[in-house]
Amino acid sequence: MSGPVLRAEGVTLRYGAVVAVDHVDIAVAPGVLHGVIGPNGAGKSSFMDALSGRRRLSGGTVHLDGEDITKRNVAWRRKNGMARSFQKTSVFNSMTVRTQLEMVARRNREDDLAGIVSAFGLEPYLDEPCISISYGLQRSVDIAMALIGKPHVVLLDEPGAGLSQEESVRMLDHIRGLCSERDVAAVLVEHDVDGVFRVCDEITVLSLGKVLATGKPAEVRANPAVIEAYLGSQA
Amino acid sequence: MSSTAPTVVTTTDDPAVAPPRGDGAPGRREGRVAVGLERRAVLRALAVAVVILVAGLFVPDLITSSYYMGVAADGVVLGIMAAGIGFLAHRSGLISLGHTAFYGGSAYGVAIFTTHWGWSPTTAAVVAVIGGTLLAVAIGSLVIRITGFGFLMLTLAFGQALYALSTLTSLRDVTGAFDGISVVFSGESQKVAGLTQAQLGAPDTFWPLAWVCLVLVVLGLWLVGRSRFGVTLEAIRENEERARFSGYNTYLPRLGAFAISGFCASIAGVLFALKASYVSPDVLGFQLAGDSLVATIVGGFTILIGPVVGALLYIYAQGRFGDTGNLELYMGLALIVVVIFLPGGVVGFVTDRVVRLRARLWRGRKGAGS
Repeated sequence: MSGPVLRAEGVTLRYGAVVAVDHVDIAVAPGVLHGVIGPNGAGKSSFMDALSGRRRLSGGTVHLDGEDITKRNVAWRRKNGMARSFQKTSVFNSMTVRTQLEMVARRNREDDLAGIVSAFGLEPYLDEPCISISYGLQRSVDIAMALIGKPHVVLLDEPGAGLSQEESVRMLDHIRGLCSERDVAAVLVEHDVDGVFRVCDEITVLSLGKVLATGKPAEVRANPAVIEAYLGSQA
Repeated sequence: MSSTAPTVVTTTDDPAVAPPRGDGAPGRREGRVAVGLERRAVLRALAVAVVILVAGLFVPDLITSSYYMGVAADGVVLGIMAAGIGFLAHRSGLISLGHTAFYGGSAYGVAIFTTHWGWSPTTAAVVAVIGGTLLAVAIGSLVIRITGFGFLMLTLAFGQALYALSTLTSLRDVTGAFDGISVVFSGESQKVAGLTQAQLGAPDTFWPLAWVCLVLVVLGLWLVGRSRFGVTLEAIRENEERARFSGYNTYLPRLGAFAISGFCASIAGVLFALKASYVSPDVLGFQLAGDSLVATIVGGFTILIGPVVGALLYIYAQGRFGDTGNLELYMGLALIVVVIFLPGGVVGFVTDRVVRLRARLWRGRKGAGS
């Protein structure tokens, strides 16, 4: 396995006196799906915001392909290989699916947009305004936009949120397949713990902003601290 | 679209690309590219613009009343500024109360360049438009990061600052302070677009110049709105965070929209100065800033010609009710009615009705045929 495409060290994010993310390290190699789990308020989404540049770090560094991008803005990060989707679906509501996908594809030099559209089954909805399609399809558009342009790493914040259990399972499997196929590293925050253990290559467990455990799914599942603090009887 | 640009759906002539599923659904646009200008649409727009341009040149033959011809000419000048304000509001979601800075700034530019500096009116007009646009870039670079109420107030503040500057007695030699300044053509070439100063002051002979400018401005705004740049603006207005996370620097496109909008206001300001041959602080005042915004909203800015129609209505109302002192009352009532009952403005409402009527007729025809 080659070196990490994404490496974050000592990532810290404070909201006033509250430390939402406290010296978190992560390293993700190409094609690896790295899950981030933890109870509500563990700092998962804040961690994604810190990695993606949505929020300025209180401490620590983020490296993409070996380059320190801590001070780079989100547009630069996107152009240089870091994409993300959002916990609350973020699309261009009044634009058609086609218009927004083509716009993002042009911006990020994607030459196989048809492949992405096909992978998410969006062909029948291309001329629909995004606001008129179902939430699940909007979620697909959101993630499709994140995968356009062959990003080196994609940050997926609860891609199953708002979807039914069945849709969520299908979405995670789909993401797994796409990341492997396109050799994209992914950081996946997800509430569906079983789903994360099923599709991810590595897992980090956060609790109160700190890393409780990190490693292969089997190692994390067997970690007593994780069992006590988070998994409980699920282990 | 260039050959390298990505497209989701191509024609089925290309065996390498699978045809889209769900063929045959109404309204599908196989083979069409959604983003950017399409040659056919551009040619159609150009053809329509030429027809409207030529038709409009006959307006002075139809309106024999000098008074109403003046109303129409004034409406077109205000309409050009309103079109710019509407463009910014529609494409970027930014409501400006400061476009009088560019309108008045360019108007003062014409007056100062011709009267004090002795420039030819054509040179003065061109430089004034460029200067007004550069002023828009300068002010825009400071205010464009702010949105909503903050943007509204900042643009108003800049407009009012220029107003205050124009009234300074220490600048009386340049601006005339509260007395204003006359526009006197004193250079060698004393014509603009073949029109003398006297012809520019007469509504029927001024009309062709104003009309051509209006049609070109509206056509230009249409092209910009339909271009990739326009689509980017729409995306930024719709969801700025997603646009940034899609790789777009959102600052420059918004600044570009503000500059284009300021360019329109600058053209309007120059036309006003040429027509009126007199510029006073009123062209930078809050009254004009409010009136142009009200005209934009009443006409409706979701459709390009909405603000133009709003401006024509406003100028007509000004002539009709201005002397009675009830103009603001009627405009206020119109604004209330539009904001509450016609969110798309007068033009948006009419367009909506026409679309519904066409749909109903279409359904009726289909029902009769089956």
